[in-house]
Amino acid sequence: MRPHQCGCTILPPELLRRIARNGTARQRDAALGTLAIDHTLRLARATYQLLESGAQRGALGVPVTAKQRTVYDAQGRDVLPGKTVRTEGAAPVGDVDVNEAYDGLGATFDFFADVYERNSIDDEGLHLDATVHYGRHYDNAFWNGRQMVFGDGDGELFNRFTISLDVIAHELTHGVTGDEARLVYLGQAGALNESISDVFGSLVKQYVRGQTAAQADWLIGEGLFTAKVHGVALRSMKAPGTAFDDALLGRDPQPATMAGYVRTSEDNGGVHTNSGIPNHAFYLAATALGGHAWEKAGRIWYETLRDKRLKPTATFIQFARATVQNAAHLFGRTERQTVAAAWAEVGVHAGT
Amino acid sequence: MRIDFRIDGGLAAFPGLAKPVTIDCDRLSPQDNARLRELVRRADLFQRPRRASPAMPDARVYTIALDDGGQCRTVTVPEPIADPALRALVDALAQHAAAVRRAR
Repeated sequence: MRPHQCGCTILPPELLRRIARNGTARQRDAALGTLAIDHTLRLARATYQLLESGAQRGALGVPVTAKQRTVYDAQGRDVLPGKTVRTEGAAPVGDVDVNEAYDGLGATFDFFADVYERNSIDDEGLHLDATVHYGRHYDNAFWNGRQMVFGDGDGELFNRFTISLDVIAHELTHGVTGDEARLVYLGQAGALNESISDVFGSLVKQYVRGQTAAQADWLIGEGLFTAKVHGVALRSMKAPGTAFDDALLGRDPQPATMAGYVRTSEDNGGVHTNSGIPNHAFYLAATALGGHAWEKAGRIWYETLRDKRLKPTATFIQFARATVQNAAHLFGRTERQTVAAAWAEVGVHAGT
Repeated sequence: MRIDFRIDGGLAAFPGLAKPVTIDCDRLSPQDNARLRELVRRADLFQRPRRASPAMPDARVYTIALDDGGQCRTVTVPEPIADPALRALVDALAQHAAAVRRAR
């Protein structure tokens, strides 16, 4: 059985597989050899076609589709999505919120596609929609399960919510987590959910800026506060608890280690507070591993997010153990020790 | 009529914003008092479920504890708030709460 010049076999693949399973040793070898060549040829053909078309290849050889963004203007009202103001491929408009939303969606899509071969938030090419100017003096931004929504801020404490790329990527990453590990938004699982959004939020920003882990500022939401606020950002992964200390907002409550873990019924058990601990672990791992944070630390965290063994109710220690295992499996012993040491430094002892 | 108002959640934990604020209607100007009572009436809190469905990530959750001198009712509402009357009440309470915080 030899392949035709076009790369197809005379015998269909399923028959070859039957021979491979049930035939004599010689028949099996021949069938497997043909299948291997056939598979290689199919893959080569598919790759050639993809390279010709300029498309990227996703994790299973399925092409990452081109991004499809639409930005809407809610014009100060509460109705979604609002009026279409910028579609995919259109030139920048006069409204900076629109352009920032458009660019932020694009940067997040490109990061996940380029670095992890992920095809949009759901890994199936989900169109990315955003609405700006939602509500009046609306002091927040969120992913509603289908689209991004951005407020203008009140101008007193907060600027426009499109101003910070890592916040945009943070919100979109909630969609990724919802598609993968589905970490429940409560207690330690919720703090992990929050942390993962901060991790990939920061990585998108670092990727756009071409920064190494050492060069990054590891701040989330820089630029969001007005000049009236005594603070630099919503959170710091490098130094949890130092991002703000303001008369109205209070002081940044984040702990850096388990010694400061906050037991509370507020904020779903402190998901935005205790996220400081896994955030700091990631910062420590990324800086110890060196280079660009998305290459090793980010990959380990991403594969852990997609790890089928990770439960929606995962605790810090369960997540930490998974990152340690994935570090070994993806890279090796040194990376494994480095990740374990980072967790140990924040008080999560994830095993030898 | 007194209202205890809290904002929970959002993009970040802000201890200053998470502390409850008490709005005593009788201490407001007559206009503000009347307006707030009207918003409370329209929001019809006693007919609402005490706790709505769980909020999305980074959405804020508002807790309104109303004491109208006769009855008490606590209602927890996540954003985005679909009902215009409830949204108007929350917006007004948020503004009053901001004023109370600034005066602290």
